[in-house]
This record gives sequence, structure tokens and C-alpha cells, in this order.
Amino acid sequence: MSKKKYFVKRKKTCKFTAEGIEYIDYKDIDLIRQYVPVSGKILPRRVSGTNPIYQRKLTRAIKRARLMALLPFLGD
Amino acid sequence: MPLYELGVILDASLDDEQRSTFLGEIKELIAKEGATIVKEDVWGKRILAYMIKHKREGYYVFWQYEAPGTVVKPLEYRLRLSDQVLRFLNLNLDREMQRARKMAKVRAEQKAAKRAAKERVEVAAVAAAPRAGEEA
Repeated sequence: MSKKKYFVKRKKTCKFTAEGIEYIDYKDIDLIRQYVPVSGKILPRRVSGTNPIYQRKLTRAIKRARLMALLPFLGD
Repeated sequence: MPLYELGVILDASLDDEQRSTFLGEIKELIAKEGATIVKEDVWGKRILAYMIKHKREGYYVFWQYEAPGTVVKPLEYRLRLSDQVLRFLNLNLDREMQRARKMAKVRAEQKAAKRAAKERVEVAAVAAAPRAGEEA
């Protein structure tokens, strides 16, 4: 019996482009948390599907949040 | 006057009196030379994501204020000197927005230029087509 692996390709979308956000606030932790796994690392674009323009803004926001101890530099 | 946003983490072990006097002092420093505080957002005590100065808890306060640039330097100087402040972050929100708008404008122009160039090519192709027919 041949085993065939099926998987459905999910279409990745950029949330920020869809909603037309101009500025990503570092205080909006619930939003930012979606792009930071437990490891504390920033999710790459290849995984999250974020538009490059917004990825840069997101990165800045995450780093600011880290500075203000809202997010960890090092996760678990 | 640009719009600034200041976030301050205070030592959570301070009593209410110390805290309120210090917050009053900061507000006084901001509200100079016709500056106005637009928004005050007090989050209160919160567990820090990591320890700062061997402390696990901090008291978060955020302000948005409109002030001339001369206010910023003494304000940041005061915050840096204080023992009660664990961390602070002062941002120029106008600058953040300006950068975004500027880049959006540049991108829109680039898009328009690209479209115009494409149209020009198409027009040239249409103009060249009948000539080819005549020769045949």
C-alpha cells in the first residue's frame, strides 16, 4: 500500500494590509503576541505571511515592547 | 508642536503618596511652554516580562502630550536620574506617522509611474500595428 500524504495549503494573509493599519502600537500586546511564539522570537514573514512593510513595523513594535518589559527578550 | 508618547514604568513598591507626588512632578515637567497632555493612561501594577533592578513588578503609566521639542530633553534627563523609574520610553508619534505616510506616498507614485510606462508601451504597440499591416 502506498502512503500518500495530503495536506491542505493554507492561504497566508497579512492582517495589517487587510485592515489598513498605519502604525503598530507597542502597547497593543494582544495583537503583537500573535507574532511572538512562546520562544520569544519574532515570527518570520515566511511563516506569518506579513507584508514586508508591516513586518518591519511589527519588528519595531516588538522590540519596543521588549524594552518596556511587556514581552520577554528570552522566552521559555 | 509634535505629539509625543511617554511610557514610564515605576517601582511598584512605592506607596501611593510617593507615587502621586512623582507623577505630579512629571506632569509638571511636561506641561511647560504651552504644552498639553492629550491622554493619560494608567495601567497600574503589572508583572514585568523579566526582572528589572531585581524587581518583578512595575507600575505602568502612559501619556500622550503635545509639546515643543524643548520639553523633551529636561524631561528625559529627570526620568533617567530617578531611582523610582525602572524604564521609560518617549516616542515622537508624529514622526512615526509621517514616515508611514511618506512611504505610502512614494509607493503610490512608483505604482502610478509603472502604470504610465506600461500604457505608453501599449500605445506604441497599437501605433506600430497598422504600419505592419500596410507593408503586408
